[in-house]
Amino acid sequence: MPQPLSTKENSLFRQVIRYYEDKQYKRGLKAAEQILKKNPKHGDTMAMKALIMNQQGKTDEAFALGKEALTADMKSHICWHVYGLLYRHQKNFEEAMKAYKFALKLEPDSHQIQRDLAFLQIQMRDYQGYIQSRTSMLQARSQVRQNWTALAVAHHLAGDLSQAEKVLTTYEDSLKSSPSRTDYENSEAVMYKNSIIAEMGDYQRALDHLESIAKYNLDRLAVLEMRAEYLANLKKKDEAIKAYRALLDRNPEHPEYYNKLMDVMGLDANDQSARKAIYDEYAKKNPRCDGAKRLPLDFLTGDAFREAAKKYLTLMLDKGVPSTFANFKHLYVDSSKKDTLGSLAQEYLDAKRTSGDTSSSNGDALKGEPAGLYFLAQHFNYHLSRDLAKAMEFVNKGIELVPDSVEFHMTKARIWKHYGNTQKASETMEQARNLDLKDRYTNTKAAKYQLRNNESDNALKTMALFTKNDTPGGPISDLLDMQSVWYLTEDGEASVRNGNIGLALKRFHAVYDIFDVWQEDQFDFHSFSLRKGQIRAYVDMIRWEDHIREHPFYTRAALGAIAAYLGMYDSKQMVNGVNGSADASGDEAAEKKKAAKKARKEAQKVEREAAEKAAKQDPNKAKGAAAEPVKKDDDPNGLRLAATTEPLVVATKFLAHILEFSPKNIDGQVAGFEVYLRREKYLLALRCLTAAQAIDASNPAVHEQAVRFRQVLNSKLSSLPSKVADVAKSDFTAIDAS
Amino acid sequence: TTGDVEDEVQQQAKSAEDRKAATALASLDSNGDDAASSGAHVDQEAVSKAMKNLGSAAVEKEVKKVKVDPADVALLVDELDLTKAKATELLKAHDGDAVQAMRAFIAVSF
Amino acid sequence: MDIRRLEARDIPLIQHANLENLPENYFMKYYLYHALSWPQLSYVAVDVSRPKKTPYDYPKIVGYVLAKMEEEPADGVQHGHITSLSVMRTHRRLGIAEKLMRQAQLAMVETFGAQYVSLHVRVSNKAAIHLYTKTLGFDNEKSEAKYYADGEDAYCMRLELSAIRNQIQEAAEAEEEEGNVNDGD
Repeated sequence: MPQPLSTKENSLFRQVIRYYEDKQYKRGLKAAEQILKKNPKHGDTMAMKALIMNQQGKTDEAFALGKEALTADMKSHICWHVYGLLYRHQKNFEEAMKAYKFALKLEPDSHQIQRDLAFLQIQMRDYQGYIQSRTSMLQARSQVRQNWTALAVAHHLAGDLSQAEKVLTTYEDSLKSSPSRTDYENSEAVMYKNSIIAEMGDYQRALDHLESIAKYNLDRLAVLEMRAEYLANLKKKDEAIKAYRALLDRNPEHPEYYNKLMDVMGLDANDQSARKAIYDEYAKKNPRCDGAKRLPLDFLTGDAFREAAKKYLTLMLDKGVPSTFANFKHLYVDSSKKDTLGSLAQEYLDAKRTSGDTSSSNGDALKGEPAGLYFLAQHFNYHLSRDLAKAMEFVNKGIELVPDSVEFHMTKARIWKHYGNTQKASETMEQARNLDLKDRYTNTKAAKYQLRNNESDNALKTMALFTKNDTPGGPISDLLDMQSVWYLTEDGEASVRNGNIGLALKRFHAVYDIFDVWQEDQFDFHSFSLRKGQIRAYVDMIRWEDHIREHPFYTRAALGAIAAYLGMYDSKQMVNGVNGSADASGDEAAEKKKAAKKARKEAQKVEREAAEKAAKQDPNKAKGAAAEPVKKDDDPNGLRLAATTEPLVVATKFLAHILEFSPKNIDGQVAGFEVYLRREKYLLALRCLTAAQAIDASNPAVHEQAVRFRQVLNSKLSSLPSKVADVAKSDFTAIDAS
Repeated sequence: TTGDVEDEVQQQAKSAEDRKAATALASLDSNGDDAASSGAHVDQEAVSKAMKNLGSAAVEKEVKKVKVDPADVALLVDELDLTKAKATELLKAHDGDAVQAMRAFIAVSF
Repeated sequence: MDIRRLEARDIPLIQHANLENLPENYFMKYYLYHALSWPQLSYVAVDVSRPKKTPYDYPKIVGYVLAKMEEEPADGVQHGHITSLSVMRTHRRLGIAEKLMRQAQLAMVETFGAQYVSLHVRVSNKAAIHLYTKTLGFDNEKSEAKYYADGEDAYCMRLELSAIRNQIQEAAEAEEEEGNVNDGD
């Protein structure tokens, strides 16, 4: 029961809520204080005050007050609701959900609480809960289409396709008049329904339904693609051919259309000339189309390949297309194609040289002779056809011919990289950058090569030429804000090599946190997408978010972090252990001390600069809708991260996502073995080892780990719990017990 | 240090592009959703009739009645880094046999 | 090269390409906002010839166009807007940007009834200006002072989409006719 207030205070309380919604926190707080002066234990007001304080960044105080509010008024749905919102803000979704449920019990008709609960349920993938919430939301407002769609989505995501379809149909049947042709919500809803029917595998029904809605549907491409797919699945050959041809007319640069077309035509996979004829037809129709000319090189062989490759290569090099080599290199696994391409490029170069045609290189494009040199430099730089001396020869000739070419300098830098000379590589890439100062791509590469050469500071200076440097905290803050994962990862790896473990961990954790943000990012779309009516795109997003951490971006940073934590753990063991060699660890300790000192100094500098900047800022400027207050980073160099006493626990946090989402990544399994072995979780170590063996039994790291596991097992088996020993004995068979 | 962060101060976006992005994202979580949507075309009677047919089709998952030894639960929690609930579930799925449960857990599943 | 519609899973590598190529960057949520508001309008160019290194490799994005509809057009006319377009330096001269733009423009008309499409471009970006005006037929409307964070001015450009509208109209009529002929059989 809400505690009663006087009329005047009641209206004040309504104001508090309004101020909160309008993000006018100071005013809201003032009004709340006014009520509390007379009614110090008014739960709802305390709760609202807590909510406002929370928005202002005073999370701890807010939480304490929120709790107090709840004790003051256990029967208030507002107090419970706020309590849930506070938990939600702390990302404790389980507790938030519980609080919302209490609130909803007290106020079953609250639309707001029901919404908050529902969105948390779908965020947490509590499908059954979400279905329940969506059902009651529909019952409350059944005249609104999006509530029907939402319930269908709930069933769909929960895997109940026919229930999803039924909900959508029920709504359609209740319509008095058909929606207008330009009603986007309707157009998408029927396409969504169609995709559900197809997902059930009922292609005939899907096709019939699609034909009934196709004519005025606003998503033309989706209609054409789905129709073609259904026709193909139903083996309606002639219509399917027509459908794929229509798609190719729209977009001849989509390889899948060619493949599907030839599939439905029933072309023999080995009938090269018939397949080539299809591509030729589209190349003729679309003179500017690349795919129709390039794709046949994938399947042509022998003389046919040579002829087509020559034609295509000549065209590309005459045009000065810089990606020509990049678009060929996947063919190099076939050694005859590799040789053919190498000799064709040489022939091209020779021909251009004898013709003495030097006018062909104009502007920034490499055409004619330079194009030939450029191709051959890349050819001999590629790992399957590598001859670095030759590559260098070609690239130097190219630079002689076109001294200010960014492309030649970039390639030269790459050649140095393959020589293992990161210093020269970095210098050369810097030269390339200086040839086109306005190009961020070249700038990015220069910074990357600096990081590969362990020049963290220089790299940041290079990056700063394109970042927003008035961001508080400088360029690195902008890179963090803009989620520049590549930079953070490379800088982390460089910091490891520089012995600056704190900074390395800082960067790897930043990537970890970015993935948290990416996962959190979907939250607003649970309501937004329904409002927009874009259901298929929403479902696509949900399914992708389900395994977002399988992305190689995550795995690479996580592996970096795990290796760093393992190193920390091992060196500590060394220092503490009897076998620790005093000399080695002494050196290392001194090195670390130096790095830590440097990091501390830098931290002070950044802090000083930030303070100066803050002091300069005019406090009266820039008032407006409030954003979250900017939190200051109190550990910019990761010293605190590096000081952890539980490196293996933190390593496990990074590891868990790799093992869950990228189990087939052998590096992840290998790292997992190392972590679990040190944690003496032998069965989990064995699990990683077995998985790694299944991925690639011939991997030397895996073999070495198996031997090590046998040794550990031999010495520890008697001390393990008997059931664990039983499992280890029966499931570890790679190396015989001796 | 910088002292208290001035509240209600938005970080002024540096460029028109950034302002556009900020405005768009600020509107994402607005609450003004379903109430405004069109309800005019719906036959209210048909809707309420249809609602009845929807009923909750949620099927309760059948829970097997298996006794598990708390010592085994503790063992699985410790050895396999599992929560208590997950460990219990795993044991139940293997009729309370800890060795079988652990073997299944560490087997390659891809 | 593969030119196709953007999918949610492409976003990290689109963001990556954007960070590599352009000074105007956005966090992932802004890309999601485009992908989930106007999924028909944004396209990517994928390097299909890149060998996979792990089973979890994502398609390598070498170019993209991030497009939207203007939510509340000041002039009251439905129109599209190009938020960001870039092609990796290594993949230029294949007409990728043009092809991406043409797909986006077509969808703007088909799906959202756009009358025109607008965009901003740096006054110093000669190559892009050439693409927009010479290849695609944009008109330079006006310039906006200090549009970019570094103080550079922008040209505001626009392209009427009536040609595409007419094309669609004609195609629809042709189809209608064909339908009638078939019906007569």
